[in-house]
Amino acid sequence: MSLLHAAAASLGISSNTLVVTLAMAAVGMAAGVVGCFSVLRRRALVGDAAAHATLPGVAAAFLLTGSRSLPVLLAGGAVSAVISLGLLVLLRRFTRTREDAATAIVIGVSFGVGVALISGLVARGVPGSGGLERFLLGSTASLSASEAVLLVLASLVATGLVIAFAKEAIVVSFDPGFAAAAGWPVWWIDFALVAITAVMVVVGLPAAGAVLVTALVVIPPVAARQWTDRVGVMLCLAGVFGLVAALAGVVVSAVVPGLATGPMVVLAAAAVFAVSLVCAPKRGLLAMAMRPKPSIMMPPEGPRERSRS
Amino acid sequence: MIFECPQKCWSRRFAGSSLLFVAVSLSLLVAGCGETADPSRRLTVVATTTIVADLVRQIAEERVAVESLMGPGIDPHSYRPTPRDADRLARADLIVASGLHLEGKLAELLERISRRKPVVFAAESVDVSERLEAAAGIADPHVWFDLALWTACIDPTVQALSEMMPEAATSFSAAGERYRQDLIFADARIKQAVSTIPSEQRVLVTAHDAFRYFGRAYGIEVVGVQGVSTESEAGLADINRLVDLLVARKVPAVFVETSVPDRSVRAICEGAAAKGHRVTTGGRLYSDALGEPGSGAETLAGALTANVNVICEALGGDVATEDAEPPQATSTEQSTDPS
Amino acid sequence: MSTPPLLELHDVTVAYHGRPVLWHVDLAVTEPCLYGIIGPNGAGKSTLVKSALGIVPLSDGWVRFFGEPLDRVRGRVGYVPQRESVDWDFPVRAIDVVLMGTYHRLGWLRRVGREERRLAESCLERVGMADFATRQIGRLSGGQQQRVFLARALAQQADIYFLDEPLAGVDAQSQQQIFEVLSSLRDEGKLVLIVHHDLRTAASWFDRVALVDMRLVAAGPTDEVLSRENLARTYSGHLEVLDELGRAVEAGRRTP
Repeated sequence: MSLLHAAAASLGISSNTLVVTLAMAAVGMAAGVVGCFSVLRRRALVGDAAAHATLPGVAAAFLLTGSRSLPVLLAGGAVSAVISLGLLVLLRRFTRTREDAATAIVIGVSFGVGVALISGLVARGVPGSGGLERFLLGSTASLSASEAVLLVLASLVATGLVIAFAKEAIVVSFDPGFAAAAGWPVWWIDFALVAITAVMVVVGLPAAGAVLVTALVVIPPVAARQWTDRVGVMLCLAGVFGLVAALAGVVVSAVVPGLATGPMVVLAAAAVFAVSLVCAPKRGLLAMAMRPKPSIMMPPEGPRERSRS
Repeated sequence: MIFECPQKCWSRRFAGSSLLFVAVSLSLLVAGCGETADPSRRLTVVATTTIVADLVRQIAEERVAVESLMGPGIDPHSYRPTPRDADRLARADLIVASGLHLEGKLAELLERISRRKPVVFAAESVDVSERLEAAAGIADPHVWFDLALWTACIDPTVQALSEMMPEAATSFSAAGERYRQDLIFADARIKQAVSTIPSEQRVLVTAHDAFRYFGRAYGIEVVGVQGVSTESEAGLADINRLVDLLVARKVPAVFVETSVPDRSVRAICEGAAAKGHRVTTGGRLYSDALGEPGSGAETLAGALTANVNVICEALGGDVATEDAEPPQATSTEQSTDPS
Repeated sequence: MSTPPLLELHDVTVAYHGRPVLWHVDLAVTEPCLYGIIGPNGAGKSTLVKSALGIVPLSDGWVRFFGEPLDRVRGRVGYVPQRESVDWDFPVRAIDVVLMGTYHRLGWLRRVGREERRLAESCLERVGMADFATRQIGRLSGGQQQRVFLARALAQQADIYFLDEPLAGVDAQSQQQIFEVLSSLRDEGKLVLIVHHDLRTAASWFDRVALVDMRLVAAGPTDEVLSRENLARTYSGHLEVLDELGRAVEAGRRTP
């Protein structure tokens, strides 16, 4: 631990701050990168579904092991999140349910099962069962060094996987019909993307909590989209925005007492988005307002209207 | 009777039978909610937390059946009522709650019930001038940590029980008096034990700010990580401040609570350890819930005595050597001097 | 020993949710040509192509490419799907779309390199879109987009090309350019199958034609197939179209 303190002291911060900063930076970056594909596939709420779907797994893990240690609960949460999202993909593939309805179903059912399990434990007076659902709220500032290591590792693995298989993910997201004809296993790649998102969300839960992690998975990619027309650049930018938002949020929470860290990170991400919305070249509001209006004397020159999705 | 039925007839029959079904269910529901007046049944008091349940049991002894909504190790700040709880409250003869918004999520339910049934909010009988303020205009509800202050709850409870069972009024009153003496006795012992802790190390760091009344009554500085309610999340600045406090004052131990997750406390320990000051987790304290039956801490006095033993041992004071239960003296000449 | 046909469909049957969409289609193509697939709306033309490519499952029958099942020769089959399913706001530029045609050859994990980029640029050049390489896909006109997707198929460097309604909603200039590229493909010895919506132009463009109306009504050289009788059988539900079409077909027969 003295190594941690030495590193922190050399930066002029406490070791707690260093631990939280590293963990949140990794989670912010990974959430941004991984979230790009959810946003591009128009299934931004899959992060929310994953977050709520962790609850039954958390309750089950506690029930089976009696332990509230983070790796145990996270493992249980990850399993139930992946299963629930697998069900989502199956619902989409084999029934006529639409994306938004299927997502809502998964969120509602899994969260309901989770709350029922936890209330049952509390009602039976199982000690330590109270506040399990607070797992969903996160407690960023209380991250321990070992938890931070877990978060950083998981974030790096998730980011690495997405970047390694970026081209497969891109072709499947852009034109699944063409991808299928070219021989790519479209449904499996889709499921893998969804599973990585789920694991990323689960990993981010103790750092930022459910609603906030959903925001981290959605806001940086959307902000990044404003600045570029190239998906590779969008991936990098989303990672950078997530990282910057995480750092800004941690700094604010470290300086001002009484401010919880997780929400500060999300507010920082929202600020990045607001700036992107207004100031981005070509797609920003300012740019669009300043564009010369086409004269009716000139024939329309080419750009098609955006088509329905 | 099977008969042929055209399409229209079937839908009418369906409507008719569903209407019948709804009517039957509704009447069953209403009947279930109503009271069964059975005079031979022992009267029931439903308490919200284990602490007020203990209060009622000490006064009423075996004369009434006392149920507690929350069990040992359950956090009352975040406890959400189930339909079964609503049922139990509805069937109770008397309800005793801790009050001052401790049971944050039960407020609405209790308010509704209070229109039909007698509800005692124990902590509200503590004088306003004695209450500590948690935030602007909001009182800190953890009054039971000051045993002398908690005795203010005895009289209203005795009165409510007596109204419910007038024939046992004198027994309740006598039991109330005995309990008051027990609490005062325990109060003195705790004060004495705390005074043996070296004064610079008399700092109690816990997960949430439950112990402020304890600190004020027994002369120990208290610091909670999460604030008065467990619902709030600790910020990084607060965690850093606490680590600095621990290191500067060389506090040897911090404490986790039985009903509150200990993540924030462990984070502070790690932070202090990184700065070279080893802080141990001194042990588990009973904060918002009492202990399991048979642990010696299933009564308020027992729980606080157990707490103070844990605190003293960790912070360098002398552990109270007597056992947790005060002597069962019925006469009142055994009064110890409150300091 | 005779070489297997370039494309062979045998008894191909496709059903969606229990309803048959394609019924016992037998088709064999032995020589490279411009092959049109014609029929009324909802006749199963797109389904024919999708089922051949494995995008839609076959209920019965089989399909062979160069005598092999598709999985063994995927690298030799190119595809330009219908344009509706694309998200035009997706952050890809024309060059990025064309590069997607090279992904299959790269396989898993390998990244796009200089060779792939050069191929993509030459394909864009071939369809006349080289100047638009860095334009985002949604900012192109319909005809330009279609040319980009054709370039993507060219980048697949296939021997058989399937195009699903490539000229729908495309301006005349782009149509001409696309047709020229397809003709040159045929001249290079590739088989090009096109699902086409417009009977009028079919007569002048295609070497061979298949008339599809849930079943294969007729298939063969354009002159033979596009007879009044066949047209009547195919478009039997569309009486108001028949006379006009018949006249148009005869008027539009291949001009030298």
